[in-house]
Amino acid sequence: MQQRNSDLTSRFGRRTFLAAAGGSAAGLAGLAGCLGDDNNDNTPIAEVEPMSERVDSGALSWDDLGDLEGEISIYSGRTPDQISAVFDALEDEYDGLTVSVDYDDNDVQVNQILEEETHPADLMYSQDPGALNALHDDGVLQQLPDDVIDAVPGSYQHSDGYWTGVTGRTRSIQYNSDRLDETDFDDWDELPTDIMEYATDERFEGIISTRPNSGTFRGFVQAMVERKGEEETREWVRQMADDQDAQLFEGGSDQANDINRGGDDDPIIGLGNSYYAARILNEDSDAPIRTTFTENDAGCLFSVAGVGVLDQVGDSELVAEFVRHLLAEEGQELMMDDNGEYPVVEDIEYVGPLPDLDEINPPEFDLSGFDMDLQEAGDLIEEEGMFA
Amino acid sequence: MKSLTNYLDLSQQLPLIRKRLRETDRSTAALVLLSAIVALLVISPMLWLFVRAVEVEPARAYGLIVSPDTGWITVNSIILMGVVTFCSILLGVPLAVLTARTDIPYPRLWTIVAALPLVIPSYIGAIAFVGMFGSGGEIDSVFGVSIPTIDGLPGSILIITLYTYPYVFLTTRAALLSMDSSVVDAARTLNAGPFEAFRRVTFPQIRPGIAAGALLAGLYAISDFGTPAFMGANVFTSRIYWETTGFGREYAALLALQLIAIVAVVLVIEAGIGRDEDAGNSGGGEGSTIRLGNWKWPAMGFVSVLGTLTLIVPVAIFSRWLIYSEGDPIPAYEFQWEFAFNSVYLALLAALVASLFALPVAYYSGRANSLLSRILERATYVGFAVPGVVIGLALVFLGNRALPSLYRQGVWLLVFAYVVRFLPQAVGTVRSSVLQVDDKTIEAARTLNAGRFEAFRRVTLPLIMPGVVAGSILVFLTTMKELPVTLMLRPIGMETLVSLIWNAQDALAYRYAAIPALLLILISGLSMLVLLRQEGGEIS
Repeated sequence: MQQRNSDLTSRFGRRTFLAAAGGSAAGLAGLAGCLGDDNNDNTPIAEVEPMSERVDSGALSWDDLGDLEGEISIYSGRTPDQISAVFDALEDEYDGLTVSVDYDDNDVQVNQILEEETHPADLMYSQDPGALNALHDDGVLQQLPDDVIDAVPGSYQHSDGYWTGVTGRTRSIQYNSDRLDETDFDDWDELPTDIMEYATDERFEGIISTRPNSGTFRGFVQAMVERKGEEETREWVRQMADDQDAQLFEGGSDQANDINRGGDDDPIIGLGNSYYAARILNEDSDAPIRTTFTENDAGCLFSVAGVGVLDQVGDSELVAEFVRHLLAEEGQELMMDDNGEYPVVEDIEYVGPLPDLDEINPPEFDLSGFDMDLQEAGDLIEEEGMFA
Repeated sequence: MKSLTNYLDLSQQLPLIRKRLRETDRSTAALVLLSAIVALLVISPMLWLFVRAVEVEPARAYGLIVSPDTGWITVNSIILMGVVTFCSILLGVPLAVLTARTDIPYPRLWTIVAALPLVIPSYIGAIAFVGMFGSGGEIDSVFGVSIPTIDGLPGSILIITLYTYPYVFLTTRAALLSMDSSVVDAARTLNAGPFEAFRRVTFPQIRPGIAAGALLAGLYAISDFGTPAFMGANVFTSRIYWETTGFGREYAALLALQLIAIVAVVLVIEAGIGRDEDAGNSGGGEGSTIRLGNWKWPAMGFVSVLGTLTLIVPVAIFSRWLIYSEGDPIPAYEFQWEFAFNSVYLALLAALVASLFALPVAYYSGRANSLLSRILERATYVGFAVPGVVIGLALVFLGNRALPSLYRQGVWLLVFAYVVRFLPQAVGTVRSSVLQVDDKTIEAARTLNAGRFEAFRRVTLPLIMPGVVAGSILVFLTTMKELPVTLMLRPIGMETLVSLIWNAQDALAYRYAAIPALLLILISGLSMLVLLRQEGGEIS
């Protein structure tokens, strides 16, 4: 944490400059910002009292919560198949509720919000904490109500309650179980449990892959910096790119798909989120793709997808209650069933195809202190020559 | 009707002439003003690039510009643009000659086959080709024959060429159909061989047409994101996207400015090649046709193979994914007719607005051919060459501040974005039809005392209407398949065919991409038929 503060000054300088330039451009572009129709409700979300039960009082059902009525709009960096079931279920549950969702690439959404002056959406539902932290750093998120903050362990949310995780997943090692004979491994059990070896072990040369442009990969790199230091992380990225000649993918799905396909030019091993493999297996249980996990290092980082409330919302009460619904039992379970994700509310048990978190042994990582400077991780990846 | 003496009596005539001249000045000024407004409007999003680019520290900006990395991107992008342009001409011009000037059997069928690839988004082509070829692809799994994977820069060049050469085909064909072929006959009478007649007579006349199509193909190639990204080619668009999503928007802006600088050079070069002095006026397409004899078999075979690659492969792949789909249903990707309606509605609006915007610019540039008119016309091309994600972010920034009530609420900001991207397709086609309107026809109308505007409405407009319709259809087709801008600026919650394809493809639920993809091809295909039918009406 200490050394984070040292580069805060340079970042602060950059950001002030950004704000100044953005401000003058706003002036240039027109004084119309204030002329838009203003039906925004500016009651801070943090001050909105629960309509019914507080969500931190254990595993609640939707019946225990207040009714949702009105229109809520969401920027989603998650894809419809991951998330729309929850929104649909809520719309079915409440006749007066309309959920409008804009689906786009997670990073595009964040950049779009950063370019906006006023935001047409109430919430950002993001894949990763880094993106939500970037939004917070830019001052576009507002604090969540106390009971929402208290419902989720501190390590799965922002330290000052500016965003909260809703579900979790881990980084994994994916491999094609039919292609053992093409590797120098005698058994898949030999796959290292230390992520560092994936960059140094020559047996991975030419058959390994990753996806450097994703938020989770940046998060993973940042986690490695925290645990191993910048020098070792740089070395890891460089070896991965140069020595191992890792195949780089634009999308996590493409990567998992190619591993599964098993053509001569396709990678046999891949570093990625476990649920990409889970989805393929869901489509076809005989598919050769399998996952394994490293032990207690950045390679099996547990991370969350979560929500942040933007600074102006249509109806504060509705938005606050909506977030409570995501953390209630039905919300958590829908995302377990649909997506193989882990719940973040402790009283709710994980049931699903993946090993339990205890078995995986992810690193103790405080995501709230995970002040992920995406630019820094991005620069590091890029400077070491890894881009697709 | 005035008496003849009225025209001869100068003392009476002079004030009239003076009045008319004033009127002319005023309407010309209005036309220049309108063109300038359109040009400024469509390049206004580039303002954002400067706002963002100046945020890069000068030393770092310089370092980035001169880095070997940027050098490679530049070289790759120029190779991509250059080779795609060259290959598009190589494919498009012979196909145009084949369908317009020879006695090939079933000319309409081959015209359709040659033009249709334009309706297929190149990223769909890329997905299909990668799914078809390469080890582990469909051909490999069905026949056990491994065909080299199509990827990287060569792969991108192949795919983009296959789906953009119709720009050259269509513009060249239009030029062939409208040129005065009696000159060719004259040349043949003077003992020139068919090849020499083509080189010395036909080619100079259709050169502006070829250049116009080649320009569109080249600019499309350098602005296409989906294909190079899918194929893993390191070019401006994929790098700009990487920088944008990696929170390096300032660098992305800087790269986009570099891209625009290259495009500006291309526009100037093309302006030199595509000059209109040599272009002939309309003269009807009848006259000499080239007899193919037994050459008609290889000719038909060539078009068939091309059509199989560009049309049948993607349709077959998507149909296969549709039919042999398995796995749990994913309700999130269920097709709804509303998505198709949204796509068509947006594309129609974009086509309408683009043709309204194109009229003053194309008319002024077609009639005046001054430096100013050329600059205004060329300015409308810039948006076509800039990657959609850049235009998208620019309009997020500007639209959100300047027109907050339009931002993501109605469709108008999105429609404007489409116009910024696709206006040159309308300007180009309208302009070439303006060029073919004989000055004398308009002068005749003016002599009959029609006002400037009335002459335009009653004489010029009907004459250039085919060009306006053709331009609108091109805008319609490209809007239907546009992706990044649609995702970024559509009203929240509005889905279209491409947003469904994108979402389904992203989640590997290919079977859900099949119906919207096939429907997209069908609707765009029908509009292409309208385009060709209308052109057919002109000749017969």
